[in-house]
Amino acid sequence: MSITSPLSRRSLLGHFGLSAGGIGLGGLALASLLQREASAGTGVLAEPHLPVKAKRVIYLFQSGGPSQLDLFDDKPKLREMDGQQLPDSVRAGQRLTGMSGNQSSIPLVGSPFTFTKHGEGGATLCDQLPNTARVADKICFIRSMYTESINHGPGVTFMQSGSQIPGRPSIGAWLDYGLGSLADDLPSFVVLVTKDKGGQPLMSHLWGAGFLPPKHQGVRFRSGAEPVLSINNPPGVSRESRRAVLDGLRQLHEHEFAQLPDSEITARIANYEMAYRMQASVPEVTDFSDEPQHVLDAYGPDAQKPGSFAANCLLARRLAERGVRFIQLYHPGWDHHGGLKGALTRQCQETDKPSAALLDDLADRGMLDDTLVVWGGEFGRTNYGQGHYAPGSNFGRDHHPRCFTMWLAGGGVKPATTWGETCEFGYNVVKDGVHVHDLHATMLHLLGIDHERLTYKFQGRRYRLTDVHGRVVNGILA
Amino acid sequence: MQRVLMSAGAWLGLLATVAAGGEPPTYNSDIRPILSENCFACHGPDAKAREAGLRLDIADQATAELESGLRAIAPGDLDSSELLARVSSADPDLVMPPPEAKLGRLSAEDREKLTAWIEAGAEYEPHWTFVSPKHAQPTLTPAGSIDAIVAEGLAVRGLTFQPEAEKTTLIRRVSFDLTGLPPSLAEIDAFVADASPAAYENLLDRLLASPRYGERMAADWLDLARYSDSYGFQVDRERPYMWPWRDWVIEAFNDNLPWDDFTRWQLAGDLLPNATAQQRLATAFNRLHQQEAEGGSVEEEYRVAYVNDRVTTFGTTFLGLTLECCRCHDHKFDPVSQKEYYQFFAFFDDVDEAGLYSFFTQSTPTPKMPLLDSAAATARAAADARVVEAEAQLAAREQQARQTFASAFANGEPIPDAFLTQLASGLPGELVHYTFDERRADGKFQSLTDPPPEPAEAEPAAEQSESEEAKPEPPADRAATSPSENTLVASRDGQAVHLTGDHAVTTPVGNFRRSHPFSVATWIKPAAVYDRAVVFHRSQAWTDAASRGYELLVDRGHLQWSLIHFWPGDAVSVRAAEPLPVDTWTHVCVTSDGSSTAAGLKIFINGRPVATEIIRDRLTREMTGGGGDTIRIGERMRDNGFKEGEVDEFRVFDRMLLPIEVRETFAPGTLSELHAGVAAGTATPADLEAFVSLYAGTADAAVAEARAAVEAARLARDDLAEKPAEVMVMRDMDRPKVAYVLERGDYDKRGAAVSPGTPAVLPPFPEGQPRNRLGLARWLTDPEHPLLARVTVNRIWQSLFGIGLVPSSEDLGSQAKPAEYPQLLDELAWRFSHPAADGGLDWNLKELIKQIMLSKTYRQRSIADARTMADDPQNMWLARGPRHRLPAEMIRDNALAAAGLLVERIGGPPVKTYDLPDSFKPTAAGSGEDLFRRSLYTFWRRTGPGPVLEAFDVPNRVVCVAKRDTTNTPLHAFVLLNATQFVEASRVLAQEKLLQHEAAPQPALEESFHVLTSRLPDEEEQAILASMYAAQRAWYQQHPEAADELLGVGETPRAEGLAAIDLAAATSVINALMNYDGCVVKR
Repeated sequence: MSITSPLSRRSLLGHFGLSAGGIGLGGLALASLLQREASAGTGVLAEPHLPVKAKRVIYLFQSGGPSQLDLFDDKPKLREMDGQQLPDSVRAGQRLTGMSGNQSSIPLVGSPFTFTKHGEGGATLCDQLPNTARVADKICFIRSMYTESINHGPGVTFMQSGSQIPGRPSIGAWLDYGLGSLADDLPSFVVLVTKDKGGQPLMSHLWGAGFLPPKHQGVRFRSGAEPVLSINNPPGVSRESRRAVLDGLRQLHEHEFAQLPDSEITARIANYEMAYRMQASVPEVTDFSDEPQHVLDAYGPDAQKPGSFAANCLLARRLAERGVRFIQLYHPGWDHHGGLKGALTRQCQETDKPSAALLDDLADRGMLDDTLVVWGGEFGRTNYGQGHYAPGSNFGRDHHPRCFTMWLAGGGVKPATTWGETCEFGYNVVKDGVHVHDLHATMLHLLGIDHERLTYKFQGRRYRLTDVHGRVVNGILA
Repeated sequence: MQRVLMSAGAWLGLLATVAAGGEPPTYNSDIRPILSENCFACHGPDAKAREAGLRLDIADQATAELESGLRAIAPGDLDSSELLARVSSADPDLVMPPPEAKLGRLSAEDREKLTAWIEAGAEYEPHWTFVSPKHAQPTLTPAGSIDAIVAEGLAVRGLTFQPEAEKTTLIRRVSFDLTGLPPSLAEIDAFVADASPAAYENLLDRLLASPRYGERMAADWLDLARYSDSYGFQVDRERPYMWPWRDWVIEAFNDNLPWDDFTRWQLAGDLLPNATAQQRLATAFNRLHQQEAEGGSVEEEYRVAYVNDRVTTFGTTFLGLTLECCRCHDHKFDPVSQKEYYQFFAFFDDVDEAGLYSFFTQSTPTPKMPLLDSAAATARAAADARVVEAEAQLAAREQQARQTFASAFANGEPIPDAFLTQLASGLPGELVHYTFDERRADGKFQSLTDPPPEPAEAEPAAEQSESEEAKPEPPADRAATSPSENTLVASRDGQAVHLTGDHAVTTPVGNFRRSHPFSVATWIKPAAVYDRAVVFHRSQAWTDAASRGYELLVDRGHLQWSLIHFWPGDAVSVRAAEPLPVDTWTHVCVTSDGSSTAAGLKIFINGRPVATEIIRDRLTREMTGGGGDTIRIGERMRDNGFKEGEVDEFRVFDRMLLPIEVRETFAPGTLSELHAGVAAGTATPADLEAFVSLYAGTADAAVAEARAAVEAARLARDDLAEKPAEVMVMRDMDRPKVAYVLERGDYDKRGAAVSPGTPAVLPPFPEGQPRNRLGLARWLTDPEHPLLARVTVNRIWQSLFGIGLVPSSEDLGSQAKPAEYPQLLDELAWRFSHPAADGGLDWNLKELIKQIMLSKTYRQRSIADARTMADDPQNMWLARGPRHRLPAEMIRDNALAAAGLLVERIGGPPVKTYDLPDSFKPTAAGSGEDLFRRSLYTFWRRTGPGPVLEAFDVPNRVVCVAKRDTTNTPLHAFVLLNATQFVEASRVLAQEKLLQHEAAPQPALEESFHVLTSRLPDEEEQAILASMYAAQRAWYQQHPEAADELLGVGETPRAEGLAAIDLAAATSVINALMNYDGCVVKR
């Protein structure tokens, strides 16, 4: 979709929220953020449908399926029955994956971790999450999530786009389409992936625009020298010499426009100016040298390692400050089919401190109130061991879509809350189930969007993030 | 209001008679879009979703009296038309659409249209999509008819055509449109100089004949076909051999294969009488969907997804309908039911495919065909002939041996001593024999074929070989191993092993090639009527390895014996007719004669051969390889083990046992009894026959030699069969699968069975045609079919003008925005599909394109007055010529062509460009020519296409895409200014032009401008170029080291004899020109 209307402020804003004056990035403060918000509104929604509780989202996606039974949802019953067979009455014929579906024995496994209650909300957490425990009263834990997918590909795709089959727009793309950009010199949907993690592969369609115009797709920041593809000048070109080239290009375009009054040309002029500014703003946001030591310390030693989860959490806060609407982190490595105890401990060491530090940091800056932070994976894990299991021995858990835990914080979510319940076997939801579509409906609600009204017509049908489903979970709204 | 009515009038083709504001709205142009958008979801084709019994898309039902006694639409009677009352109501309980639909209220304009339409009699019209196009302009040429229709439409708006574009603009436009590449300076000069009236037409003819034409046209087709070089989905491994199909597409366009053939071959080339290799290759179109290999995925779920993808792609590409909407329910807007969707599904599900490709092997999923050149085909035919010859020789030798032995025996000659010794010493060729009577000290099971173990330290388990050796020497110790979970239990004879189903007993033998005869005999005691259980196998895994190897299964209570290259389409398999007894010790023996046929597989139960049903009978490749090289008993990765079953006396033979030998394994002593009977003269004729057979089969040297020759000939044939790459194609199974309506689209919720068929709203399926893809293709390519020609013409228009006559080229159904010039679409569609004798183009695509390009409409300047530009930004009125940013491939190819770097060679494996290491799924870049091929050949991974192309809006080709977006974002600037490909091309163009002009910068830059924009710079532009150069040169003078850095970008060597500072400055300026509108926008 080319920008073809006559040159106007609106057409120039587009994806990157170009502001005519080119606001500098030095001395960023909440005030300037608020100022920009006043002039925002480049999405299709002229006004929000609902009161806006969250202005932006930081989604800490934990890819692979973290074990809710070993992190958030303690089940003493499993310790009691450790090694005994999962009763048929609990499973009730539900499908298992091809991984464990054919094993002849399905022994229950009790969590080897210790759980304690924390904060006024009394959230029960595993002892591997001391920092999450410290900020537990900022968080709403949903223990009754459920989904439809039993494998990673469709599972992550479902969680990120509301459909198991690739091709639908991702959450961030929907937001950019609906709400537009708050950022001056940055994309409004940025993706950060923890570097050098093995685990299940992630695919770019997870942050794709699906059938929405491609300008709404997420821009993945790379952790190497170029946070955005080809943003750096080639060797032998400086900012100064580039400026001179762009000035010449601009003259050529202005000369052409004089003879060929086509808005395509003015849009092109604007894009080159925007690109030039991004060449400054993107390195600025990824450069942590202006962060005070105590902030770096709070995120932990990995904060100085580009591409680590800690560094990405801090970068997420910096992007949020600069008006990026949707910051999607991915942290792979939670797919613990075997060796769960050791592997889960390592995952916690990588994620617990930065996740908590992010909440503190946002709160310190007055941004937690209107920033929605989401933590969770694509499904949970089984209460039984995968493959052979002898009590006390090494074990793993298979994929489990019937129940798992996610947490939300900030952005209009009721803090110090635990929502939903699972059965004593940790196999089925017994109270206040939250389907993936319900989570999406609730996220949109917090952003001021009625999930049934943000639609896009494609191939003759009106599509939305929640397909034809989704109910707002009113019980977790502040 | 005035504009709306004029626009409606324009597309009705009633232009001459329209008086402003005078005509009532019509159903197709005005009313259906309103009803479809706001009402049909609850009052339309979907019976399940229908509210209040009201259906508004059919006149009879919309005007009928409802249960409430009201009528939604009372033609001519506004007061009685409840629809009008409801859409106007302020009462939230009454207003339509209801507030919970969240569609908002109807606009005043829409309500006025509905009112005027009902007042005028509420006349319904069939949707134009489903009515065959009409031929309305028989006296004009096709190009003339385009201009006549457009001129009329423009006149209504008080507009006229723009003048023809400048010649330099025109040659650039047609060169990109027909070849995807810019014109050369010589071509521009020649065209500008040619003042003859035929100059333009000659240019078109020349470009249409260029082999570049096929490459340009193929790029669009690859998006529709969702072509890629990887499998997609989660694992997204490389799919190395689909590119021969891409090359076929290029060739088909270049040969101008008539469009009906182009369509038929791709849908059903395999079913054409005496199908050629090319026709079968064309059907790969249907196999280009994504495929999954993620461990633990449900096979059937993905198989159904593949068929759905075929139907969706068929619908979008050839029908312009969104068939996928009917997977879960009747279509909400178009008259296609869910059942009709699954009738299409039934055409596309008859292939012998697996829902998962193989994780552990590189096998091409079935069905597939080998890619053979003529030398390979000849060699294979010769090898096949040698097998037949050797088999005949063996049969003759066997016959001879039987006769000789039988007559010698009848003549009372003594039985040869060697044969008697053999009879006494057990069955030849035995590799292992496990009695499972005890575990050795090291926990293993001794094989009787080995000498008894020394009472020494246990040896570590032998490493399993991954090699494809035909008959690896069995290791000295052929003991079997098993985890302790498998226990020993009392058996009919000593002890047997009791299996958990999760743990295997692993033997060190059994890596047989398919042409090597072998046998396995054992006693088993199943614990239940297994739905599926693996008794033993030689393979790495089930679906994860496509079951490569061989296996004895219990399938729904019956034994099934199979040799497999790729399950299910490349395997031989037989299943016992009689059930396997449960909880009873049963002797089972399976044999293979090495013929790679189902007839060569035998199952024996308790010593006698049992009747079998042939499950699969097509084995074309090897069953070795893929890991899991030795026989394992009772368990397989992610499969169902022989749970709680018992196994005893497990024996493997390096040859095919004869029936009498099988009996010996069941009832030891059978052979000595036979011999005794023969010796005593008490043998029955059957016993004598068995005795003769035994001799001929095991003891005759000439037979043994002939048998070795057969095996050698087969192995030679097999070696050849392993060589060619294979490409996935379509091939229907002999027995069609039954298709079902899948409730809510779920693969496991089968409803009623359906047979192949086409929707009632479309023309009837032709009499006498087979109900398969070939019949479907013939149904589709009938000139009277209302969709194929319209959809194709619309997309061709889109490729030239940037947008189709119907903007939604993927959907011409009820929800499509109507065409501005429907009669233009119909006229071209009619012409395209009809025979030349009737005045049509007979599916001649080049001629269709040429006629469009000959039109005045196409040849106009691309800019109109400011008002028209603003009011019609998408150029739906055609008041100007086309103008849009070049597609991704052309942007890159243009830079390469301008620099003289482009390597032009049609076809071949995909190449890896400079930017692939920056892809989301990084791949190492290639080198040399690979860096400079046309973008069409760039390696395409679905989860991470080439970032340069991706930046310019290529779809990732996960699904069929009929229309690309054309964005204009700052990310483009980064790529064109900074990416290696473009920096290098700028430098190479700069050095070439500087060398041509003796290092004089100004002429070099002006000529570069000419190359990049196809026109000469005017005076002001010349001055801008000069000042840009001066600024850059001044900077590089101060930073000479930077000049060298810039000039080092890219693989192409730097020219000698040019000052670095000059060359760097020129490079920078030319790099800027590659970002200039005149370079990247087609005008």
